[in-house]
Amino acid sequence: MATMTNPMKVDEMHHFVVVHPLDDRPEEKVDTERLGPMPMTLSVRISLVSLRAYLVLMMLLVFYRVLDLAKVFGR
Amino acid sequence: MSNRVVMLPAPGLDTEVMPVRGRVVKSKWSRDLLTFLMVFGPGLIVMVADNDAGAVSTYSQAGAQYGTHLLWIVLLLLPVTYFIQEMVVRLGIATGKGHAAMIYQRFGKWWGLFSLIDLEIVNFLTLVTEFAAIDLALNKLGVDPRIGVPLVAAGLMVIVLSGSYRRWERTVVFLCVLDLVWFAIAWTLRPPVAQIVRSSFVPSMPPGGLTPELMFIVVAIVGTTIAPWQLFFQQSCIADKRLRFADVKWARLDTFLGACITITVACCMMIAGNASRAHGFTFTDPAQMGADIGTFAGGFFRNAILLLMINAAVLGTTAISLSSAWAYGEVRRWPHSLQLPVRKAPGFYIVYLLCVAAAAGLVLIPGAPLQLIILGVQVLAGVMLPSAIIFLQLLLNDKELLDEHSNKPWNNWVNWTIIIVLFALSVILAAQVAAPKLFPVS
Repeated sequence: MATMTNPMKVDEMHHFVVVHPLDDRPEEKVDTERLGPMPMTLSVRISLVSLRAYLVLMMLLVFYRVLDLAKVFGR
Repeated sequence: MSNRVVMLPAPGLDTEVMPVRGRVVKSKWSRDLLTFLMVFGPGLIVMVADNDAGAVSTYSQAGAQYGTHLLWIVLLLLPVTYFIQEMVVRLGIATGKGHAAMIYQRFGKWWGLFSLIDLEIVNFLTLVTEFAAIDLALNKLGVDPRIGVPLVAAGLMVIVLSGSYRRWERTVVFLCVLDLVWFAIAWTLRPPVAQIVRSSFVPSMPPGGLTPELMFIVVAIVGTTIAPWQLFFQQSCIADKRLRFADVKWARLDTFLGACITITVACCMMIAGNASRAHGFTFTDPAQMGADIGTFAGGFFRNAILLLMINAAVLGTTAISLSSAWAYGEVRRWPHSLQLPVRKAPGFYIVYLLCVAAAAGLVLIPGAPLQLIILGVQVLAGVMLPSAIIFLQLLLNDKELLDEHSNKPWNNWVNWTIIIVLFALSVILAAQVAAPKLFPVS
């Protein structure tokens, strides 16, 4: 593949070919389909669920704050 | 540099199958420069588009209310924003896929769906604020928003419909370069240089102490400087541009330069806010600030600030709408690339067009408290950021996925510190919302 670290050499030693990524041959990447879901311990799962609950609570608080600043609650 | 275009066969491939177009250069220096210019784009765009209309509003409000006191916070966000986006660079190059696809594939549908819904909600609200800013600026420029807003929306649609990633990138990089006018504005407003240097490098608390308003604006600054859509946008952009493993160092440099530009432009916006404050004006919104600055600096500055506000909103809109369209396309497994013509990726383009059209349409409904929505969205983004970064952090420690590109121990130390600080800020925000008396005015 032609990239800047392994440039194709043209004619002589000091000529390099630089290839735009979109013009280059597709590169082999990690096969993420084959890997499947990431193995997670119970503690990681619980942490992520707690994070989700925290996020929902925080979103509600921000909406409350914005409505409060907009004087929706009449103060 | 001899920029002759050559067609060479890719090694190991038949010429008929996949010819490779390249440019011949004679020196290593030219090779490196040209390679950087070819890789350059996603990092600059994600960073400069982050200085969107909401950012113009938040930074200028911070300057108008607290002078130069909060400059050190903005400067502190330079390494933070770089470290976070650098992780996205590695993830995007190693997998060749977008962030939404990665969350779906590695965490499963349930988490993938939550992440996608969070992203689409905050993105849409942010798009509304972009068009709200365009509406405000057009009004101040004397253009009827009922004509101007649809025209801008149409322009935003045209720049993605060419079926060429490169054409879109060149247009957007040009708009990014226009953002540099903020330097000229800040400089011409005769900023207090010594005070700016002191405020940038010596952390200080504004007069009045830690008030709920100060905390709100600090969280808004963090939320606007590092936003969840940036993670999704840059990874998808890198995947769409098909950056290669060998491009990692140039993509990092692109991201670093983008971070430096966006942070210094943010400081310039704060300095402009400070200038309006120094002349006794009270901040209401950035368009009004532009008009106020025009009264003492001249009509050119007024128009320049209003046009820059529109430019910021346009940059933000194209990047945020694309992050939504890419993410949705990845999850639905639709074709999703700017390289594809509309007929080959209709779903991807329809999501983009719907995002732009719906947000533009909503803004034309009169009576919305626009400045409040803008600030609220930045805070919401700040609140949601820690969880988005946790997913990123887990993915970057996934040796099975990234192998040699996974995080090093020092990366993890830096990133967990960032996550803890962001969580602390959002917890303080929660506390002040639930019990405002915890933060008395000192």
